[in-house]
Amino acid sequence: MISKGATRNSNSRRIKFARRFVSALLHMRNQNPRPGSLSIEGSVRTRSQRIKIAAYLSMAQAVGSRRAWSRAVLSKLGSRARRHMRRMGRSSLGSLKKKRVIRSYSPGELGQAKKLRQLVPGGETMDICSLLEETAHYITCLATQVKVMQTLADNFSK
Amino acid sequence: MDGHENEGILQCPSSGMSTNPLPEKVSGMIMNSVSMYKHSNGADPFFSSGWDPLVSLSHNENFGGSSMVSHREFASTPYPIVLENQGISGTSHLVQYPSSSTYVELVPKLPCLGSGSFSDMVNSFGLPECSQIVNSECPQNYASSKEDGTGRTSTNGALSQDDRQMSGEGAVGSSPNAKRRKRVSDYNNSPVSPRQNAAGETEKDLSGQSSDVQKESDEKKPKTEQNPGSNFRGKQTGKQGKNASSADGFKENYIHVRARRGQATNSHSLAERVRREKISERMRLLQELVPGCNKITGKAVMLDEIINYVQSLQQQVEFLSMKLATVNPEQNVDIEQILSKDIINSRSGTGAILGFGPGTSSSHRFHRGTFQGTLPSISSTTSKYPLLPQTVLDNELHGLFQVGFDSCPAVDNLGSNGHFKPEL
Repeated sequence: MISKGATRNSNSRRIKFARRFVSALLHMRNQNPRPGSLSIEGSVRTRSQRIKIAAYLSMAQAVGSRRAWSRAVLSKLGSRARRHMRRMGRSSLGSLKKKRVIRSYSPGELGQAKKLRQLVPGGETMDICSLLEETAHYITCLATQVKVMQTLADNFSK
Repeated sequence: MDGHENEGILQCPSSGMSTNPLPEKVSGMIMNSVSMYKHSNGADPFFSSGWDPLVSLSHNENFGGSSMVSHREFASTPYPIVLENQGISGTSHLVQYPSSSTYVELVPKLPCLGSGSFSDMVNSFGLPECSQIVNSECPQNYASSKEDGTGRTSTNGALSQDDRQMSGEGAVGSSPNAKRRKRVSDYNNSPVSPRQNAAGETEKDLSGQSSDVQKESDEKKPKTEQNPGSNFRGKQTGKQGKNASSADGFKENYIHVRARRGQATNSHSLAERVRREKISERMRLLQELVPGCNKITGKAVMLDEIINYVQSLQQQVEFLSMKLATVNPEQNVDIEQILSKDIINSRSGTGAILGFGPGTSSSHRFHRGTFQGTLPSISSTTSKYPLLPQTVLDNELHGLFQVGFDSCPAVDNLGSNGHFKPEL
């Protein structure tokens, strides 16, 4: 079912994601010279958090501003947002959120739509139609990112 | 609650489907007539002499698209201004004419769309008899055009039965009932078996449809390709694809919608139908993306699957980031080379994503303990499942989510927010 064009697209996307992710990882590694101040588990957790954030960030950067979800991720995770977070605490994020739009007309889907909105970044202010579109793109990008990370992890563990 | 949702969702498409066969046939007649005119054009000298000069006028190419080019002989293109004004009335006349089957009526049928301007044009080309017929026929048409949409549907219904007998082919189209300016209907121009009788109405049909096509919103271009599909509920032929491509070139500001036969022509219900079709379209796309959802019919179950899939992907990212965090960072000297090699090599081996099930579930169990010992086992398990069968995948998904709801500090970040808390 996947045409040649789709595989080519997916490959180029994968390469883009991979490059960005790897550069983010390297950047992070260079930023973090202190070896063992924390416990092993604690440091691993922090590092895994950072790696996770780097993954999402690189994914959103690779997509750019074309998609609503990537814009939401970038606004949340951008360097300015991070500084915001550190200085002013989490309350600043509330000001960044837009006003809530009236949601879907079909009444039966609200429960699932709500869950989906929470899952997909930037999905709070979208109607069902665009939410589904964003979800589709988000799924493809997440899948690509997972593949990239998987290959990386496989390389390192071998 | 889910049951009710399913009922509501599943009933709608079925009600839509029941009305389809009729409009299919009605439009089939129109499709026939469309091609009929094309074929008769070469045969009948009158048409070629009569319409060619008119065609030469129509180099605006407002309609664009291959459909118009292929039916160049039709004089529908010369009347962009005319059709815009009477786009609605035009199609109402289409079905009324097929019973009268002389070619003489071909001429007045078109001008009735824009009686004044066409008669002027006809006169300028020296077709006096046509203009007389125009004047005689047109008032009647305009009177009928002022009926309600329901009135039109009733007359159309009566005539359509005659039409069905006339045409032998059942090409796809939509019924020429009440037209609304909401969405593109670009089902015109499919070449069907030739017939001289309904040739006039082919012009009308084209002109009415071209006005439709004209009024396509430019931002909906990529979606108009799918519009015929959603309009016709999956009854596409190869001709439909052609129509879709022809519709791409149009640029207008508002959308045309056609109410199907037997359906409410209220603007609200039409808007709702457009919306529902859009949503179902997107759900179909998502169905292709999410593995193991080919058999699922119904929005509620599908949405559940989608949510589960997104959650599982995010958990995978989390797990992999943890895995990467435990790796010794001094090893990544030749990262780029390794990565490029692996990506090129793994072009065919896309099983990594599908092998997440056992890997992630085991990772959550080992979450709080030591990582290093478990990593090789995890990697080995992931490699065991290059292509996870769909049923197993579903089971794994369910297992994942039960495991995932355990209280883990890192996983809690994923929990309600969905993606992450950027706490550093």
